Amino acid sequence: MMNELKQKLLSDFNDIEVNIPEDNRMIVSTKKESVLSILIYLKKLGYNHLALVSCNDWIDDNEFELIYIISAYQKNDEQYQDIEKSSIIVKTRISREKAKFITIIDIFENAEPYEREIHEMFGINFEGHPRLTPLMLERNYKIPPFRKDFDTNKYVENTFGKIPSIKERKEGNK
Amino acid sequence: MDRNKICKWLKNPGKMAHKYSFHVVYFCTGCGIIEIPPFITARWDAERFGIIPVATPRQASLFLITGYVSTKTLKAIIRTYEQMPEPKYTVALGSCPINGGMYYDSYNTITSLDKYIPVDGYIAGCMPRPEAIFIGVTHLWKLIDMDKADGYQRYREDYVHYRANQEQLYGKMDWPPLFSEENI
Repeated sequence: MMNELKQKLLSDFNDIEVNIPEDNRMIVSTKKESVLSILIYLKKLGYNHLALVSCNDWIDDNEFELIYIISAYQKNDEQYQDIEKSSIIVKTRISREKAKFITIIDIFENAEPYEREIHEMFGINFEGHPRLTPLMLERNYKIPPFRKDFDTNKYVENTFGKIPSIKERKEGNK
Repeated sequence: MDRNKICKWLKNPGKMAHKYSFHVVYFCTGCGIIEIPPFITARWDAERFGIIPVATPRQASLFLITGYVSTKTLKAIIRTYEQMPEPKYTVALGSCPINGGMYYDSYNTITSLDKYIPVDGYIAGCMPRPEAIFIGVTHLWKLIDMDKADGYQRYREDYVHYRANQEQLYGKMDWPPLFSEENI
């Protein structure tokens, strides 16, 4: 079943790499231009559930990797019986300097919180996203905290470490 | 009943009333809240020690900080603590509120809680068993007898410093100071 889909994808798209590491799992690596069309294509084939949007920071390659995991959601329909347990991982790489990408809310609506989180943690700007406001963090960070060049020890030393204890403050005021 | 205790109780009935009826805020921070339901309910039954959970901080007198404190939670903790009527006692569970514990290098977890609000006692462990919480509570009784559980008084006296620390972390705060110059 997966092999059929692999042949289909390879015939319809250029510049993609398809791996099948195990049964019912497929990894599609592609260029950033064709991500949206692949997602639409797969959605029409029945993979209509976006399970996760994730991000990796490959600092040595100077690139971010965006990962979309999609699977089939409908179960009662006979047409979808054989694909319900399979999931497809779509991977793409974007530049690290100008970290921006297009939102996929128009295809999968539930991508909204994931993209907000990635924007907050990695600083990737999703064009077309309706509200890229803070989701979980309370403070502002110069470098987004999930990037590899964010030095946590130094950050803790400079913020929480520099706050004096009450005793020190009292002695300092005298 | 021990007759000697009667004199002790009559000496300071207010203190005794504080001691034996703690009302705990139902407020969860971090992982330790999983210890609180068995602590309160039938298995260990905290009501034997006069501890009962209440719905709002305005009725509470004991604040259990159960685990690591993120910066966002700290804001809620400060607000909750300031709403509680005096006398109020704070007990922190586990090692994370002391110095950050295993989250010592986290970008979003504060390292020591007593810079922001006063803490009367710490219970060691990761997480402490419910029995350890009872031991902590009985220690708190002793501290109250000796007038050493004075966190709320320290908060009143050193409010300027506590507020300064809170503002150093958050920048501008959303709410006005609890104590102004006149009512300290």
